[in-house]
Amino acid sequence: MNTDSKPASVSARALELDIEHRQVRDGRIDRAFAILLGVQWMACIAAALWLSPYAWAGKEKVLHVHVWLAVLGGAGITLLPILLAIFRPGWIVTRHVIAASQMLSSALLIHLTGGRIETHFHVFGSLAFLAFYLDWSVLTTATIVVAADHFLRGIYWPESVYGVANPEWWRFLEHAGWVVFCDAWLIWGCLVGRRDAKAAAMRQAEVEHLTEQEQLKSAALEMALAEMTA
Amino acid sequence: MKRAILITAFSLAGTVWVVTVAAAVRSIRAFESTPGHAAAAPDRWPLSSAIAREPGTWTLVMLVHPHCSCSRASVAELEAIVEKAPRNFRTYVLAYRPHEFGEDWSRSDVWTAATRIPGVRVLTDVDAREAKRFGAFTSGQTFLFDPDGNRRYSGGITLLRGHAGLNSGRAEVIRLVNGGKGPGAHPVFGCAIVSKEAP
Repeated sequence: MNTDSKPASVSARALELDIEHRQVRDGRIDRAFAILLGVQWMACIAAALWLSPYAWAGKEKVLHVHVWLAVLGGAGITLLPILLAIFRPGWIVTRHVIAASQMLSSALLIHLTGGRIETHFHVFGSLAFLAFYLDWSVLTTATIVVAADHFLRGIYWPESVYGVANPEWWRFLEHAGWVVFCDAWLIWGCLVGRRDAKAAAMRQAEVEHLTEQEQLKSAALEMALAEMTA
Repeated sequence: MKRAILITAFSLAGTVWVVTVAAAVRSIRAFESTPGHAAAAPDRWPLSSAIAREPGTWTLVMLVHPHCSCSRASVAELEAIVEKAPRNFRTYVLAYRPHEFGEDWSRSDVWTAATRIPGVRVLTDVDAREAKRFGAFTSGQTFLFDPDGNRRYSGGITLLRGHAGLNSGRAEVIRLVNGGKGPGAHPVFGCAIVSKEAP
């Protein structure tokens, strides 16, 4: 029996288990996000129908552009991540697309509710949900999308994001700063979570290895006893 | 084969995704940042108005379409103005109602929000008669007349359609009623009360 190969085989098995567990967990979270994105899409449509169903011209009314935005814009934001979650759960691209879509959903909700400050909390709730992946790079993608959204709209359409026509050039940094503040703790949580997940995989691999060793010893013992009694 | 179909489907979905998001942003920006028709406002208080202006007081008149969701923001901004106005300040909100509809038609959330502002009188403007007397076309159109009956402000008091928050229209009205000089103006954002072609 080669005792030197034991640590290597345990480490390899731990890595295998970690990848397997991660694949299952990420796929489960992808599917949960697919449902969440679908629910958010419906919520956007409901909010548009409730808050601004029609645009008026005297006594004539037409469907408000917010309703079209909720239906078509919401579909545009939601379509790709849902497809990826269904057909490619657990794929790294899937969770990054989900992160970007979740942030765009926040932007859509904020817009449909007339820029209510309360709706901005959706961004922070979304970051917390995205942290379930235990992947700090997913939070980075979400943060880049939020910061880019604020930066670009701050240049080309500042009223829609800050409510004033001439915000300071660094205003997007203030908004992004609060997201980074939130990220700092979530990323730390992700790193700790990953470390614990790897440790759990290692413990399981060790248990499997010890069980296997015990079974081999029992088999050898039974064989020896059988030879003695023969 | 299956892989090729998946790649094609995802590429297509990705393209649709980017194009739809870009188109949505473009269309909503165009909608919200395009002002309504500016008023053909009289220089002095229109004598044909059914509202009796009280001499020696500032008078603000806002015309709203009660079902215009964008006008919630205008009413919210009006509240901010009223809070900073001097004591000799009268405010009227005129809510449009076509004659063929009952009184309930104009009792919308915009109406309710306006009635909750202290000191604001909310009146019904049947068939936009008052709107026509003041030369207003767009919901949210606000006029400010000084104690002598001269028009000092004509325009909206929101930054965009349906966006409440600090804006130069609101700031201008507050500046004027607190002793600021000169007439003021700002684009008005909201639904049409009467079309520009209407008599």
